[in-house]
Amino acid sequence: MKRHLYIEMDNCIGCRSCLAACTQCGGHDQRNRNYVYDVNPLVNRQTIPLMCLHCVNPACARSCPAQAIQVTPEGAVLSALVEKCIGCQNCTIACPYGIPKFDEEQNLMYKCDLCYDRTKDGIPPMCASVCPTNTLQWVTEDELAAKKAQHQLGKWTASRELFDPLEGETNVKVSLPGILQGSQKLF
Amino acid sequence: MGSAFASKFAKSVFITVCGLLILMYVGSRFFTHIDLALYGYMVGTFVFICGFFYRFIAWGERPPTKLIIKKGIKLLFRKSSPKTTTEHLVTYRFIWKRGWYRWAQHILIGWGCILSAFVTFPLVFGWMYFTMEDNGYYTVVLFGINLMKIDAEGILAFLFFNALNITAFMVIAGVSMALYRRIGNMQARAEQTFVYDLLPLYMLLFISITGLMLTVSNIVLGGWGHPVITLIHQWSVILTLIYLPFGKLAHIPFRPLSVFARNYREHYGEKEMKPCKVCGTPFVSAEQSTDVIEVLKQNDINFKMEEGFHLAELCLPCRRKYRMSKFSGVPTHLIKAKEANQNAKG
Repeated sequence: MKRHLYIEMDNCIGCRSCLAACTQCGGHDQRNRNYVYDVNPLVNRQTIPLMCLHCVNPACARSCPAQAIQVTPEGAVLSALVEKCIGCQNCTIACPYGIPKFDEEQNLMYKCDLCYDRTKDGIPPMCASVCPTNTLQWVTEDELAAKKAQHQLGKWTASRELFDPLEGETNVKVSLPGILQGSQKLF
Repeated sequence: MGSAFASKFAKSVFITVCGLLILMYVGSRFFTHIDLALYGYMVGTFVFICGFFYRFIAWGERPPTKLIIKKGIKLLFRKSSPKTTTEHLVTYRFIWKRGWYRWAQHILIGWGCILSAFVTFPLVFGWMYFTMEDNGYYTVVLFGINLMKIDAEGILAFLFFNALNITAFMVIAGVSMALYRRIGNMQARAEQTFVYDLLPLYMLLFISITGLMLTVSNIVLGGWGHPVITLIHQWSVILTLIYLPFGKLAHIPFRPLSVFARNYREHYGEKEMKPCKVCGTPFVSAEQSTDVIEVLKQNDINFKMEEGFHLAELCLPCRRKYRMSKFSGVPTHLIKAKEANQNAKG
């Protein structure tokens, strides 16, 4: 069954467990590939995790001269194939979210691969496995639909729809922070 | 003249095959020293050339590839080119940085195959052969020129005649290392497929073993089975050669592009850097930023924001913070605060 990584942004407490867990994924070589950002650092403590959102039409792969970035049948946009990456860093410039990291010494780009060794067998990615506040969840399509329905009850919408928060369709689904906009979520 | 050929592909193949035939004509002293036992390899090479051009012309038509090839060729003669080329194509320094195990396996397989090709193809096309004028001494003829005289029992002759045996052991060792890694490494196990990742390794292993079997047949079995093993070996080499541009092994002829990429980044980086539209930090060459925007446009992707900048004009941290602002409505990218730690080390 197809599952999605789902980000419930409100829940993030900035513990950075997801960063630590990322370093432990097979092939990640002790380096994390995701980020946690303070939203309004001088005012409050709200944080939001950011990782590759696994675009349906990934700009990184489109801009890669070597076809080093592969998309799996499940929709995961993999890290650069080590044998193909030529180190031009087009992907880091093309990515609308600024996700790919680059190792100058190894002449190699590396990015979130949705822990493909785990997720292809239906096991949640490392970050979602350890998240203590359910900010990062690994949900089925049904669960996702239920969440969406729940978030759009009457006037209570968790996610502000004033403008499109993402650039095109992504395989990682997000729920925007509601508290920050003065509305409350219905769980 | 432009319409003499049906396509770029037809033209490239025609010119390359003609060039090869001319080189054969000159190199084999006007076709007098062609080793017809090896003619299968010759036909295989011609088929390989067709596949090679087909694959690489199709690949070169992709917008980002086309761009980097075009600019890479222009920048080929930079001062740093010889150093970059040596590090990328000869010593594989970047692979060393990825791990000694991976590096060792690349040196063994890579140089095993390259040296084998250096021995095999000159023999196939008649560019190198041995004659014996004086008893006990071979004359090495390269491109029709008597290169040197070597003692038939000497160390040089030993190395010449056993070159392919030595490279076969190199390739077998390298392939075994690669296969061993693929059993244990969890990421490799998750991402590899039989056809893409394992088949090329098995093919190289098969070639090396059948090649060594020829030597065994000569030394131990008095030549028993030699004609059959020769054909099996020859077919395995030809199949691998034809397959080379289409599978994982295509990364070998791809690799010179990394020299192009390095030159491209260095040259345009020295020329003009692009300051981030939000924080002003130079983060990439102006040329590359423009190029990426153009390439994305050709793919119908446009990240032009209502604030007036394209996302490829923001440095990476600003681009990530800008996304925060899209999520929350708070203009995170404009807040001058030190970026919180991003490595989970406290």
